[in-house]
Amino acid sequence: MAVSVEVVADAGAAVGAGTSRRADAVWEHAPERLRAAVDAARRLRDERGIHFAPVRHHSPACAVAVRSAIEELRPAAVLIEGPEEFTRLVPDLLHEETRPPVAVLSLGGRTGEDEPEGAGFYPLASFSPEWVALRAGHAVGAELAFVDRPFGERSAAERALDGAAPGGSGGAQPDPFARTLMSERYLAHSEAVAALARRLGCRDHDEVWDQLFEARASAELADWRTVFDDVFAWSALARLDYEEGVLAGDGSLDREARMAARVGETADRLTGGGAGGGAGPVLVVTGAFHTLALVEALSGAPEGAPVRDRQPEGGFGPAVQGEAWLVRYDHERLDGLRGYGAGMPSPGYYERLHTAHLRELGSAQDPVPDGPVGARALVTEVLVDIARGAAERGHAVSLPQVSSAAESAVRLAELRERAFPCRTDLLDAVRSCYVQDDGGVGGPGEPERPLGLAIAEVFGGRSLGDVPPGSASPPLVRDVRERVRAVRLVVDDSVPRTTRLDARRTASHRSKRQVLALLDFIGAGFGRLVSGPDHVSGRGLGLITEEWQYSWTPLVEARLVEMVHLGATLDAVAVARLHEAEARLASTGAGSASVAAAARLVAQTLVIGMGVHLPRIVALLRSTLDTDRDLDSVVSGARQLLGLWQARVELGAEEQASELLDLVSQALATAAYLVSDLGKVRAEDEDAAISTLVGLRALLRDAAAAGGAAAVDAAGSPGTDRGEDGVGSAARTAVGRELARLRDEDGTAPAVAGALLALGFTDGAVVDDVLIKRVRGALAAGADPGTAVRFLGGVMRAAPDLILHTPEMFDAVDDALRALDGDAFLAVLPDLRRAFTWLRPTETHRLAKRVAERTGARVEQVDVRVALSEDDLAQGLAVDHELTAVLRRDGLAHWAATEAQAESVAEFVAETAAGAGAVPTRGEA
Amino acid sequence: MTITTETTSPAEIRPPAEVRYAAELAALDAWDQERGHERPPGWRLSPRAVRAFVVGSEEIGVRRKFYGDDPLVDRAVVSLMGRQGLMLVGEPGTAKSMLSELLSAAVSGASTLTVQGTAGTTEDHVRYSWNYALLVSEGPSERSLVPSPVCTGMREGRVVRFEEITRCAPEIQDTLVSILSEKQLMVPELGPDARVAARPGFTVIATANLKDRGVHEMSAALKRRFSFETVAPVRDRAFEIELVQHQLEAELGPDSGRPEVPHDVLEVLVTVFQDLRTGSTREGAPVKRPETVMSTAEAVNVAVAASLEARYLGDGTVTAAEVARQIAGVALKGEEEDARRLRHYVDNVVRERARHDARWKAFFTAAEPLWR
Repeated sequence: MAVSVEVVADAGAAVGAGTSRRADAVWEHAPERLRAAVDAARRLRDERGIHFAPVRHHSPACAVAVRSAIEELRPAAVLIEGPEEFTRLVPDLLHEETRPPVAVLSLGGRTGEDEPEGAGFYPLASFSPEWVALRAGHAVGAELAFVDRPFGERSAAERALDGAAPGGSGGAQPDPFARTLMSERYLAHSEAVAALARRLGCRDHDEVWDQLFEARASAELADWRTVFDDVFAWSALARLDYEEGVLAGDGSLDREARMAARVGETADRLTGGGAGGGAGPVLVVTGAFHTLALVEALSGAPEGAPVRDRQPEGGFGPAVQGEAWLVRYDHERLDGLRGYGAGMPSPGYYERLHTAHLRELGSAQDPVPDGPVGARALVTEVLVDIARGAAERGHAVSLPQVSSAAESAVRLAELRERAFPCRTDLLDAVRSCYVQDDGGVGGPGEPERPLGLAIAEVFGGRSLGDVPPGSASPPLVRDVRERVRAVRLVVDDSVPRTTRLDARRTASHRSKRQVLALLDFIGAGFGRLVSGPDHVSGRGLGLITEEWQYSWTPLVEARLVEMVHLGATLDAVAVARLHEAEARLASTGAGSASVAAAARLVAQTLVIGMGVHLPRIVALLRSTLDTDRDLDSVVSGARQLLGLWQARVELGAEEQASELLDLVSQALATAAYLVSDLGKVRAEDEDAAISTLVGLRALLRDAAAAGGAAAVDAAGSPGTDRGEDGVGSAARTAVGRELARLRDEDGTAPAVAGALLALGFTDGAVVDDVLIKRVRGALAAGADPGTAVRFLGGVMRAAPDLILHTPEMFDAVDDALRALDGDAFLAVLPDLRRAFTWLRPTETHRLAKRVAERTGARVEQVDVRVALSEDDLAQGLAVDHELTAVLRRDGLAHWAATEAQAESVAEFVAETAAGAGAVPTRGEA
Repeated sequence: MTITTETTSPAEIRPPAEVRYAAELAALDAWDQERGHERPPGWRLSPRAVRAFVVGSEEIGVRRKFYGDDPLVDRAVVSLMGRQGLMLVGEPGTAKSMLSELLSAAVSGASTLTVQGTAGTTEDHVRYSWNYALLVSEGPSERSLVPSPVCTGMREGRVVRFEEITRCAPEIQDTLVSILSEKQLMVPELGPDARVAARPGFTVIATANLKDRGVHEMSAALKRRFSFETVAPVRDRAFEIELVQHQLEAELGPDSGRPEVPHDVLEVLVTVFQDLRTGSTREGAPVKRPETVMSTAEAVNVAVAASLEARYLGDGTVTAAEVARQIAGVALKGEEEDARRLRHYVDNVVRERARHDARWKAFFTAAEPLWR
């Protein structure tokens, strides 16, 4: 059913000429079907009082026309395209505290226990025709209703189509906001519209729309009959590009069936079948794409059969009730240019345009702030604001540039035969006059530049709507907003903010942190910890202040709405999430749940201030302690628990303190039981085993130190073995005993034995003589060089400086190394070198000095000390950057170290340089 | 040697735009008068007609001459109406000069008031110089003054083109600063009040390449006196094929019995150029970009050469093989490194395509021995 492109093109040319022949020209060339439809529409108007207002979503031109139509017609009912369950929200939409942009949010049906199938948004901006229809319709006392098919009845396939961004997927992260119920991919992809764009010299269908409709002066738009006729013709032609199968497959026909039925019912009820009698006319505000189908279906035209056939015999019955919520929305997500597919691009600009129209036409009900009157006057304001925004970002724009841009915009509009400069004329003028080089303005696909950001700010807009506190928003959202507001975090706009908290000292900061952590835990996407102690992951525990970044974006509300099935309050949702986490932990299988993971969950619970739920998780942890066979997991879990106890004040977990210490004791006892496993590790696991040992030693030390405070804390709770000696003294003794046994056993892995010996010596559990004897024994002439070096490695790993402070040990090692023959030495050399890397550079220096004294060589000959200045460092870094750039250029970026690596190397270099020690270069690394 | 002082003579290789498109310009003039379009002072056509001349209009019977960026043409036309000059910047071969020629032909009816910027351009080329014989015998006088194209453009109220402005030394470029802001040129030799005042219609279209080697910086003062427009390379493959096709007809003549360059061969040619220009194929495979600018103009040169080869050396049909041979000679300016890049392209991209496609097979077979 290809429609001659010529028809549209001629219509466009006529419209472009700015004459009153516009509509006539369309109809002169219109195919028979269109002409029949317009006659049918006329009959519907005269006989049944049904008026159609075909609109484009978020078009200020249509919004102005809708307002004029309602003010003149004073309809008895205004019916709007939108799922019919939204009708329940009309009072909230009309509420005086509701400020656009807002969106009605529909939740998809849920299948069993699963997450909702996704949400659909129905955004309304101040310049949306639907919004204006609601407000103006209310002002004239009309009955207001949404008449589209309920969102829940849309099939999964239809929903997948909703909000498919015009121009393809792009592989970007799917944004939940992309699922708008006002998708207009038909217009974007229509061949007729594309041909019209080529013909008119417009770059895309948005500009065609601008050219044909938004470029009309306020008074012309107030002539709503002409506007709607033209919009009808424009989109009807686009519609004729599509086959019935396509329209059936995506649900268009089903939706139109519902809308047509509801329109018919309302008209029959209100007008009593005649335009003369009854309460008054019915105004139908729908996307223009559907108008043709509605007219044909209602008028009984043969082309309307596919739609009529979809209506059930006895009608659709009473309007469906369903879940729908009012949430705040913002311009950013409204912007079609950013790929959300919600309709018009540049909402910030269109909002200004709409307001300028209102000022010119005068508006009784919606007072508008002072500003440019009429679209023509808007030009200077927009250009000045962009200039200012660019200047703030460091791109100076002079006054002559602004005035030449204004001139240029007007001339462009004249050239393009528009009544006043439109969106693209302004953008082109900015491009012409504000850019002074070949870099363009920057933006998508180009590097970001100040001018591009300023344009995005003005054209994109920054508005965030507001919804009344009433029932329209789900209780969960209200609860969270109250909670967040109660701790004095800002929820009135979506600007990202940073807050620094000192939870240790300030109680109010503690509650702030708790709310932030709680929202983070449930996955609301509200805030994130930028720096500071993270008790869950165990990072940054030494830091005192924490820094959070947060912003109350519509996305937060959307996420919360998706969680409404979990509970009505923040706490309820958090509890549900905790249960989920517990279930996940428990389901990892009997015997395999790790103490470390359970301890993490304990930490999580305390961080979000859910201490009351601790007993359940503690029970889980205790049972895990019985089953976990991994000493490392037990040790790290116990250390985390002890860390939580130490942070009990800032976490507000004083009540749980004794419980935590109990757990630590129990973990220590478990550790004592598991220590002996360490003796049996294989050579390649020795490193990990020694790490565990070092961790265990730290745990023992911290547990002992925790004693004093714990005694005061928990004086009243007897039954646990702690007191003056610290936490779990009995268990600690047991661990010590097991460690000693392991140390002295013959079969213990050599590195573990070496490490235990070194640690024992450092802690005073092993005396000098024993240490020397064992070292000499392990390194003695007869010993296997491999085993000997593993032993030495263990010693060096656990206590590197031992060899410096204990001359006898130095001698022993020296003798052992001298005794090795050449081949054996070469064989163990790699391990040996590694063993000595645990020394700090200054220690290496001292050791080298001693070796030099011993061998009679001069210090300089064996010294590895390298003096480095900051200049050297800077030079090195510069070379490094250059090298990385070269690698990138040649497509070998993966050869270069990642940013993080490079940074850590740089940090390390800086530290070492400060200590004037040896510096490993990138080459060695 | 014949120097053409008149507008044109029929034997010219490439007559100026106003001659080549005289019929179209006349049609546009008639269209303007019929519609009653207003013309800015000094303009031979209305802005709408100028636009139609560049981007084409079926209604008036004007062919499209510039592809890919209509809003840019709009902006350029509007800039010419303003007080500032128009600066077209961009990579070589993006049809900057063609656009400047078309605009000046349409606006002023003359595209020959041109300063061709080189390192050797002096102030005399921008302002005026003297006929020294007359100067010696008569002294400074109107008669002995030799006006520059800029000077003539001011007097007559026409558009002056300044090609490759960044190839001139900055102090020569800056000669334009006061001319553009004061719209007059003082001639002190003829007396304290002697000056050439610009008449309406005078403006300057400069073209510049800001990234090439051996170009000079532009002063901020000069930049302020121009509206900048960046001309991007043609990205649309279909457009570029059409463009090459038209250029080819313009170069070889439509009915000279020359061998047709089939559409699918042009497709191969344009694809090669686009791959090499962008550094990746449409499928996203990386390609090494040659130093040589793979502009549309070069693609036309290759097509012309391939057509000539087929006509005089071959069997009269142009295939991808001719294209392959000519790319080596015409497009690559003998840089060893570029040859290696092309070998890489042939080995990695063409070889793969040749497995499924006869045209690419021909290209591959011809290219392989050539660039081994």
